[in-house]
Amino acid sequence: MELAIRTEHLTKIYGQRLIAVNDMNLEVPQGSVFGLLGPNGAGKTTTLRLLLGLQRPTAGRAEVFGKSCGPNAVGVRSQIGYLPTNPKLPGNLRPIEYLDLLGKLSRLPRQVRKPRVSALLRAVGLLAATDQHIQTFSTGMCTRLGIAASLVGDPPLLLWDEPTAGLDPSARRFTLDLIRELGKTKTVVVATHILSDIDQICDHIGVMHEGRMIFAGSMQDMKRRLRRDDFTLELEGDNEDIQHLAQEAAKLDGLDARIGAGDTLVVGIADGRSRCGALAEVLKLVDAGNVSLQAIHSGQNATENAYLQLLQEDEAHGFGR
Amino acid sequence: MDSADKISKLGTRMMPYLAILRQDLGTLWASRLVRLWLAATALLTFLMAAANWTQFQDAPLIASLLFPYLVFPWFLVVVVLGVSPVSGSRAEALADGILSRPVGRCEYLIATWSARVVAVLSVYLVVVVPAIVVVTLAKRPVREDSVTVYGIVSALFVVGLVLTFLVSLGFLVGALLRKPLLAVVVLIFVWYPISFILSIFSLEQFSPVSLSRAVSTQLRQGWRQSEDEAKAASNMQDMQQFSEQMSNFFSRLSGAPARPKTSKGDFFETKEFEDFSLFRVTLGYGLPTLTAIILATLCFYWRDL
Repeated sequence: MELAIRTEHLTKIYGQRLIAVNDMNLEVPQGSVFGLLGPNGAGKTTTLRLLLGLQRPTAGRAEVFGKSCGPNAVGVRSQIGYLPTNPKLPGNLRPIEYLDLLGKLSRLPRQVRKPRVSALLRAVGLLAATDQHIQTFSTGMCTRLGIAASLVGDPPLLLWDEPTAGLDPSARRFTLDLIRELGKTKTVVVATHILSDIDQICDHIGVMHEGRMIFAGSMQDMKRRLRRDDFTLELEGDNEDIQHLAQEAAKLDGLDARIGAGDTLVVGIADGRSRCGALAEVLKLVDAGNVSLQAIHSGQNATENAYLQLLQEDEAHGFGR
Repeated sequence: MDSADKISKLGTRMMPYLAILRQDLGTLWASRLVRLWLAATALLTFLMAAANWTQFQDAPLIASLLFPYLVFPWFLVVVVLGVSPVSGSRAEALADGILSRPVGRCEYLIATWSARVVAVLSVYLVVVVPAIVVVTLAKRPVREDSVTVYGIVSALFVVGLVLTFLVSLGFLVGALLRKPLLAVVVLIFVWYPISFILSIFSLEQFSPVSLSRAVSTQLRQGWRQSEDEAKAASNMQDMQQFSEQMSNFFSRLSGAPARPKTSKGDFFETKEFEDFSLFRVTLGYGLPTLTAIILATLCFYWRDL
């Protein structure tokens, strides 16, 4: 597996007081969409800034495509497109001027730079705003421009920090779709604490807590590792009918069924029992009974549960961490 | 490899430097500080020239026009311009915007330093050069003076060198202290008593006040004129006039009555000003300027953004 990012014992301590990143070992495979997940203050942004060489590690090292990161690692930064949280843009410039400036910073010749700037403005939907100064832009427009800015040099690695922060639903949808699209050709690292974003776009995930990487692996690994063998059926019908259904389901081999909050039936599956088979048998009972099925929720798909469980486990380890 | 390829490669290599320089110059020109400074310096130059039009010969008059750049008040503006690019909230914004791109920190620092120096020297030359041309070419009711082109160029160079040093000093202190306001306060406390500090180390000839007084002599010096001839050409009356004029300048600024003439022997009466050497002054300000840039670069390199 070729790696886009590799860190070894990466540590950042601010002024001998605050441990922002704590002995982090991270491997991000090339071509993956990697979600860097963690609560506020977990060290996500610091990690990205260490990779960019904007900050120097207190200990350990970081590599991007096999090259060491640092303040003068121009070669590393030429392979990274960075989108900061709520990007601070020069308000006195227009979008074309700004992207052209960034193209020059990436040493792009004019014949490459100009068409790329036009294509990017079109791709992020800012063609109609090219004559406006950036200071008149809304948060969503600034994020779109920030996205275009991160893509000017056509880098193979994108580091996006909270790309959906402060966006309305349509802008958020646009950003997530774009990440999915870019993930087909580039390695994308998305730092966020919004779990649903990670769930939709990422194939690999790293969970940070208090500066430490407490889990890193594929999304499937994470869900499998924290699989909850139960599912919940939302039903509509008389209480008696629902209770009768619960009794019938409990009689099935390897299943435990109980009435949950509201008109729900919580079905637990014993170890070794096929989840699909169990679900099929319960659904047959529902179909045969006097109740109608409104929705099915599976604990296995709840990234939020997995994430919270990871954080709880990490805190429970105490000195073992 | 032919020369066109070499030029093309050099152009590509210099592209980020030139882009930052151009962008920073645009931002500086759009700033209120620079525009107000340009207007204020033009107004002050006009007032000083008009006030002394019929009193001073060419050399002392030109020296009086250069005085505000060397001593007071323009050093304040110059250090503020020097401090701002690498300190305060701007550092965070530039980290996100520019230093996260394939640009070296040294490259960025040199480009922003160049932009500041170009802006400061432009404002200075745009105002002073036309004023000097008018002063030297106009028929005025004063005695003929022997100001030379070389003298004018070298005097302009000395003042430009001091301004460049001030920008560099601002850069260094801005990089060290991070907080722009604190950096400016520190610079004022360092620069204001600089003449006194230099006199402790017997380096009065490098102090801005000494340079300001020596400018009159320098203005009359020819390209091939020996130092002895230049010394002979110096005029004590000019010096006295100039001292009085500076005293009046400060008195007007503070609103206090003009100081009476003192009989105390000063730096010029001891003829120490005749030690003025363009070479020594160039080294005296050039080397600290280079040192300040190198230290600022090192400081900025080690800094977390």
